[in-house]
Amino acid sequence: MKNYRILDLIRRNRSPLENHLIDGLVDGRVSRRDFIRHGSLLGLSLPLLGGITTAAGFGGMPSLARAAGAAGATIRVASSVPAAAIDPVTIADAGGLLVMQQVAEFLCVDGPDLVLQPALAESWKPNDTGTVWTFKLRKGVKFHSGGEMKADDVVASIDRLADPANSSNALSVFTGILQKGASKKVDDYTVEFHLDAPNGNFPYMLSSDNYNAVIIPASYKGDYEKSFDGTGPFKIEKYTAKVGASFVRNDDYWGPKALPDRTEFTFFTDVQPMILALQGGQVDIINQMPVLSGVALLNDPSVDIISLKSSAHQQLHMRCDDGPLKDARVRRAIALCLDRDKLAAGLMKGRSALGNDSPFAAVYPSTDTSIPQRKQDIAQAKQLMEAAGVAQGFKVTLTTERYLEIPEYAQLIQNWVKEIGVELELNILDQGGYYGDAVFGKSNWLDSVMGITDYGHRGVPNVYLAAPLKSDGTWNAAHFKNKDYDTLAASYIGALDLEAQKADAGKIQKLLLEETPVIFGYFYDYLTATAKGVAGVQPTAMSQLFLEKASKA
Amino acid sequence: MVFLGGQVLPGNVGRAILGPFADQRAVDALNHTLGVDRPLLTQYATWIWNFVQGDMGTSYIFRSPVAPFVIGALGNSMKLAAVAFVLVVPIGILGGVIAALNLNRPLDRIISLGGLSVTVLPEFVTGIILILIFGVWLRWLPISAAWPKDAGFFTQLYYLILPSLPLFLVLFGYIARMARSGMIEALDSDYTRTAVLKGLPWRTVIWRHVLRNALLPTITVIATQTGYLIGGLVVIETLFRYQGIGSLIFTAARGKDFPMLESGILTIGIVYAVATLIADFLYSVLNPRIRLGSD
Repeated sequence: MKNYRILDLIRRNRSPLENHLIDGLVDGRVSRRDFIRHGSLLGLSLPLLGGITTAAGFGGMPSLARAAGAAGATIRVASSVPAAAIDPVTIADAGGLLVMQQVAEFLCVDGPDLVLQPALAESWKPNDTGTVWTFKLRKGVKFHSGGEMKADDVVASIDRLADPANSSNALSVFTGILQKGASKKVDDYTVEFHLDAPNGNFPYMLSSDNYNAVIIPASYKGDYEKSFDGTGPFKIEKYTAKVGASFVRNDDYWGPKALPDRTEFTFFTDVQPMILALQGGQVDIINQMPVLSGVALLNDPSVDIISLKSSAHQQLHMRCDDGPLKDARVRRAIALCLDRDKLAAGLMKGRSALGNDSPFAAVYPSTDTSIPQRKQDIAQAKQLMEAAGVAQGFKVTLTTERYLEIPEYAQLIQNWVKEIGVELELNILDQGGYYGDAVFGKSNWLDSVMGITDYGHRGVPNVYLAAPLKSDGTWNAAHFKNKDYDTLAASYIGALDLEAQKADAGKIQKLLLEETPVIFGYFYDYLTATAKGVAGVQPTAMSQLFLEKASKA
Repeated sequence: MVFLGGQVLPGNVGRAILGPFADQRAVDALNHTLGVDRPLLTQYATWIWNFVQGDMGTSYIFRSPVAPFVIGALGNSMKLAAVAFVLVVPIGILGGVIAALNLNRPLDRIISLGGLSVTVLPEFVTGIILILIFGVWLRWLPISAAWPKDAGFFTQLYYLILPSLPLFLVLFGYIARMARSGMIEALDSDYTRTAVLKGLPWRTVIWRHVLRNALLPTITVIATQTGYLIGGLVVIETLFRYQGIGSLIFTAARGKDFPMLESGILTIGIVYAVATLIADFLYSVLNPRIRLGSD
């Protein structure tokens, strides 16, 4: 039952963009789930979103509050070893960012359901064109070192990441979006970000989705491991490189105090010892568990699996500028050989969603779900091969990396494409050998005729749409150059309105199905394993782990 | 050689730290900060000059001095090696001696074939089996070798039992076989026959004449295994989460962390040399004929 009187009251103070989204919900053009996710992106608070959905007759927000467990536990986590010194500017690996994230916080958090949740920022909103985003900061937030977090700290933290001279690992996220000096303090609790071009998903770039974007004091000069300063619910107790880290509750935290007294992170170089440690009762949580390596735990009654839908995937690129794969019909034929249901059910043990050869995973609210799912069709694939003049097949090398389930995935593809006469020779390298210098001409990844590359989760598809697929994309291993695509991708990235994004997404999905420079076979779930009795653990698909509500039975 | 070998590997330090998806400008800036964009000769000369002055340099990856990492890891490896040695050397030698004294009898076959069987099993297989039995099912022993901070001697020992067992299994057959063949040869020798014919008690013959000669090749074998036990335990260290020098070198090689890699390998080289020297010394103690200065 819709309550138009309340809806009208809510509409009065909202921008045209926000009202358009509300209208979409009321008219049924936007689903409740998409409304909440996109509303959070536009900076609408979760209580307000709940009020709107109630007034529109969809019921309130599901309660995010968990039953609080007992306080005082020590939660023990098995984590991968930080690959390098922990520094918010340079950090790039899951083990390191997990440690950093225990003490330092983001302006907002890309939650498990891709709803942006306020953290150090209370709210945010774009201007009419999406070129300026204004963030209101939370007051009374203190760094562990004592000072209050203010706009100067936010400006310095983000400027540091956008500066090409700083070895910033977030530079690839900010390039073409936000330059050094474009973050401006309005007052102590308000910061404006002036973008290079309109961007409808910008808050994700400042959220936990961009794992470098933690807020640390403006005075930071390096050597983060000496201070581990931040605003988080835990403070560092001890850090030993290559061995582990421990944290204690921060009693000056701005939010509800953490339940655990302590948390301990033990570093492992391989997942098998982690699994044995969980089974042996020496750790309580494995932060990220690859599905194939962790099969033994999936049905273990003493273990719970937290499974998050994600956009993480293995991209199979095909060179569009040379050889038999230059013909889009051949690329489509290869894509039609894959039995995606078997991939999802067999290779990924049911812990994945089907891919439809575009970065638009089912988790994104902008994905056009009316586009038909590509399925295995050997007869059509053979017809395409014949039409392309290669009915007799050809030989080609698939170069890839020894990582997660990629070698097994490559072998499955090798078997499937045999049916249309394509003889796939596998060249499986270690990760260093595959990525090489990661620039064109010096990288098996970027120079190979065919290749499979691992891509981690992102809360919005912007990065996937730009770097690997745009004509000037720095990770364009497929060497795909298509002006229509570039225009559509730019339009999507600039769109603020969910329906406009959806319209662009649909066109992009169709274009990529036609051209198929990259095969997206599946999007795998992010799995976290916990011992039975451990509750309140909140991972994200970006390898973060929020433990402030964790408890042990 | 290590330095030159490392240069032909793909990628560079900045890329290894920042990952494949980092902006090239960031990678270049980091390489410049670390000094790895200087000419190779300059980099190598700087490192070797510092090393001979006792400075192992600064790790590219950890951005802190290399020496504490190498010394700590070497210490850990030596602890694990010591526990493994203490277990395997007397038991291996005893096994070989018993086998030789029971030549071609069932006990000999059990020790010889059993030793051979466990020796050929890779450490990661025996390691996982032992972890499953003693760590996961019985929960008698910790499955990680990383002991808690401020752990005392016996606690450390307790944590080292499980990781030393696969090493015991790998080395037992080898040492027992060498001891057995040395014993058989010594028992068959003229001096043993003479000692027996002289009417010496059997125990005296074994202790004074047979064992002393029989153990010479075994000592050589034990010395050559020292290098393996100190620097070659990457699999065991990974499986048991142990911070030894093998895993340190492995990590350094993957990250192209040359100061760490070169210092680690040079340290293992020194350990090899010292172990060989000790073996030579023991050899000369047991065999007066090769003592320096003797005729």
